[in-house]
Amino acid sequence: MKNKNLEKKILRKVYKIEARKTFSYLLTRLLLGLVFLLAVILFYSTVVDILNEQQSFDLLFFYRQNFAVVKRYFLPNLFNFYQELPEPLTYLLIISIIIVLVVTAVLIKNFKKIKNKLVALYKFYKTK
Amino acid sequence: METLSDKDAILKIKNGEIDYFSLLVDRYTAMIFNFVIFKLKNKEDAEDLVQNVFISFYKAIERFDVGKPVKPYLFQIVSNELKMFYRSKKSSLPLKEEIYLVADDKEQDVKDEEDYLRFITDREKQMLLMLGEGYSYVEVAVKFKKPLNTIKSIVRRARLKLNKRRRYEK
Repeated sequence: MKNKNLEKKILRKVYKIEARKTFSYLLTRLLLGLVFLLAVILFYSTVVDILNEQQSFDLLFFYRQNFAVVKRYFLPNLFNFYQELPEPLTYLLIISIIIVLVVTAVLIKNFKKIKNKLVALYKFYKTK
Repeated sequence: METLSDKDAILKIKNGEIDYFSLLVDRYTAMIFNFVIFKLKNKEDAEDLVQNVFISFYKAIERFDVGKPVKPYLFQIVSNELKMFYRSKKSSLPLKEEIYLVADDKEQDVKDEEDYLRFITDREKQMLLMLGEGYSYVEVAVKFKKPLNTIKSIVRRARLKLNKRRRYEK
């Protein structure tokens, strides 16, 4: 004889565990992504401001010259521009960008799975 | 949904379609429940244990090898849960009572207790008393701010000391 009540109890517990797991997963990934996205914006604007103040972008204006000039000064100017970058902030910017990209990639990779879980959870709690 | 094999259902669950878990629950609950109730002879305990079995199975489903059959895996979980159940039901005597039983008369008991406890440190005494009062190892570990395994080792050593002393006196 089937014990439907017990089956319902089991499913209720399983869905409860899954709901908690899925929402905490989503929340942590989204928060992490958001925090580092804000960090990227902050570091990017700071780096651009510093470079503007130093007038470092002038080093790149030579690209508008003819090809011979560009060919001659491309590497030295690029090296000078690199040296004028505020190092710690640039590294932080790069790390933040990498983290945002990784979090986004993980979310995209698991998108279908999370979507299916959310649909299943919605169906279960709606019919309950 | 009913005609889906266990393997397909698990693949679907792994893909996030957790509603297929109801298929497995529907398929195996009665079988496991009958087995467990035969062992435990108590409906409430059996129901709790079956719930734990399926929750453990669900938690482990991500690493479950779909090439393997579900039934033996579930019964392995049942066996582990039964072991844990029997362990939790095993009555534990508090330290004082244990010593009380060893002695022949009451006056001698108190003396014996003091004698025995002389061979273990204050910290070991406190730990054994806490365990005797029903605290878990985890709680004792929290109280003493020590890792769980360290607590287990200390308690084991204390018990060995007491047993050794008891054997020596006999």
